[in-house]
Amino acid sequence: MIDVNIHLLIQNIVNGVLLGLVYALIALGLSLMFGVMGIINFAHGDFLMIAMYFSYVLALALGIEGVLTSFITVPLFVVIGVAWFYTLINRVLKADPLIQIAMTVGILMFLRNIALAIWKAEPRGLPYSALLKSITIGGITISLSRLIIAIISLAVFFALHLFLTRTKLGIAIRATAEDTETAALMGINVKLIYALTTGLSLGLVALAAALILTFTRVDPMIGTVYGLISWCIVAMAGLGTIKGIIFSGLIIGLVEALGMSLISPGARELFIYLTFILILWVRPRGLFGVR
Amino acid sequence: MVDMFIKGVSKTVAIIVAVIIIIAIIGGVAYYLYSRPAPTPTPTKVKIEKIVIGVIEPLTGKYAVFGKEAVDAMKLAVEHINAEGGIKSLGGAKLELVIEDAGEKPETAKLAAEKLISEHKPPIVTGAYISRLTAAIAEVTEREKVIFVIDALVDELTEKGWMYIFRAAPRASMHGASAVKFVLDVAKKKGIEVKTVVILNEDSIFGDYVAQGARREALKNGIKILDHITYPYDIADATPIVSKLMDLKPDFVVSVPYFHDAILIAKTMKEMGYVPMIVAGAGGCGYTDPDSIKAAGEAVEYFTNTYSYNPFRDTEWNKKFVNDFKARYGKIPTEAGGIAYYNMWIIKEALEKAGEMFPEDPLNPDNLRKAFLALDLTDENSPAAQVYPSGHIKFAPNGENLYELAVVLQVINGEPHVVWPEPEPGYEPIFPHPEWKPSS
Repeated sequence: MIDVNIHLLIQNIVNGVLLGLVYALIALGLSLMFGVMGIINFAHGDFLMIAMYFSYVLALALGIEGVLTSFITVPLFVVIGVAWFYTLINRVLKADPLIQIAMTVGILMFLRNIALAIWKAEPRGLPYSALLKSITIGGITISLSRLIIAIISLAVFFALHLFLTRTKLGIAIRATAEDTETAALMGINVKLIYALTTGLSLGLVALAAALILTFTRVDPMIGTVYGLISWCIVAMAGLGTIKGIIFSGLIIGLVEALGMSLISPGARELFIYLTFILILWVRPRGLFGVR
Repeated sequence: MVDMFIKGVSKTVAIIVAVIIIIAIIGGVAYYLYSRPAPTPTPTKVKIEKIVIGVIEPLTGKYAVFGKEAVDAMKLAVEHINAEGGIKSLGGAKLELVIEDAGEKPETAKLAAEKLISEHKPPIVTGAYISRLTAAIAEVTEREKVIFVIDALVDELTEKGWMYIFRAAPRASMHGASAVKFVLDVAKKKGIEVKTVVILNEDSIFGDYVAQGARREALKNGIKILDHITYPYDIADATPIVSKLMDLKPDFVVSVPYFHDAILIAKTMKEMGYVPMIVAGAGGCGYTDPDSIKAAGEAVEYFTNTYSYNPFRDTEWNKKFVNDFKARYGKIPTEAGGIAYYNMWIIKEALEKAGEMFPEDPLNPDNLRKAFLALDLTDENSPAAQVYPSGHIKFAPNGENLYELAVVLQVINGEPHVVWPEPEPGYEPIFPHPEWKPSS
């Protein structure tokens, strides 16, 4: 009765896992800022968009593989993040959440219109990439670019885990996230920690941007696509968890791949947000949330 | 009560009210005196010196790229027409354009139409490339009885029983049908058997119409449609779709993309090593336009797409148009410019016809409509036909061209070339894809 095509099913589980790890990497920066500073960064997706344009321009100008531009864009975006903290975020830290939201939405509009003015509305992409290949194992096609991104994504998560649990700075970040005032009393420079967190968040965004540009395109509105997915993942995972980001990324990736392939690509967003609502309905604090 | 009321009204207010009443009375009397009909001279036949053509195209917002090129081409067409002696049957009357910005929303397009028609009273209006904007304008032109020559492609614009609308450009469904016709025609010539297809379209109304055209054409020719997949154009990942294609293994794919998804789909196919006989694009967006080729690079090599205009058609006027356009604007006209140019010439021919058929009242909308329907333009008798892909324009009563045709462009060595039905000199369709392997 039900025509289950095992091959297509396995293929799409693979697709979904790879896509999920890509999504998780994109959402990681958002989760960090939210978790440590309590700032809801609505411009997250649009920073990703700008970083994609930076990678695009650099890769074309230098004639290099898009992935390699991350060696330039990641440090650059760390600096942009720190600068953003000291110029704007710092001023609204103690303000109403509404004011903070207004500030990040303002940044979103600013970035989007800058991109429209410079690069116009046409989508851009890199006309070449050595990674546009695939490997076939037992009839299952695994795209190389996505496999590499998935591996880098896992490596970044592992490195971040080590950083937050094994280094003084990492422990200071966690302490600040846990209790800002006590952390300050213990001699932690909270402002500095916040600035570094913002820098780290945007640095991760720049890394994700350089990676996904290999297989996709960039246009001024693409921030919405990835921004919303990131929000879903962070909310599903719950606050204060890094492991949770990977799991909810995987859930979204699998739902998207299986839904699109086995049911209908037209209902892509329906599957994603239905899952999102169901999970939050059952567990309002998220899958791994502690608060 | 009355007493209270009178008390409540201060002196100042009373004075203001009195002044307003006096002004109103004076105004009313003046209006009555001045608006009485002045004695009119007995009507004489006025010589028409110029004919105003209304142009409503999106000149700001996200569709401005199309609208601007259309207006550029129209200006060139009017120059050419006037240089050739204007409308000869109307004593050499010259055409003059008045241009209004349609914006990017139906409301702004409608307002532009209201403004243009009330201010300039053009007998004919043309525009607006985007179907939603065009439908909004048509509501005004139908009400005001103004002929509307459209350059938007969605089928339903000529299916609403509108009286004054004309379209020479191939409809959306014609684009879909042309993609299938092209594949079957070329396969037959090369002796390759084609039996199955998957149709893939972005889910806008335009995409749906194009896909329906492809569907009908495939069914008519006994091609088995293995699946019909629709998706939103802003998808983040195309691997699920490409995986499905790899699983279904159709002989060819008809794909109706917008620009964003075209890049993603082509790159994903390339990455996953998926090569059908051909990916036949339809609808004129993505794959073969210069920007898409720049963004997708070698991933779109040998992809095709359908077009409403053939810049390489070997006729005197088409060459003149392309050369002059290139000299002035620095690039070859694309679809938007091509449609605009042949539409302007069709308007010229219709006015010419109206002058012959109805010399006493050529610009009356119903007379103009009859003139449009009486046109039968071919390469031999009109520049309009020479610029049109099929070389033949004749309108059916619903305003549709009976000889509509879309051409097929293919990306060959990173450049788009016309390969069907009349290939441009030195080129022929590359079919099947050189890396295609017949599956057992």
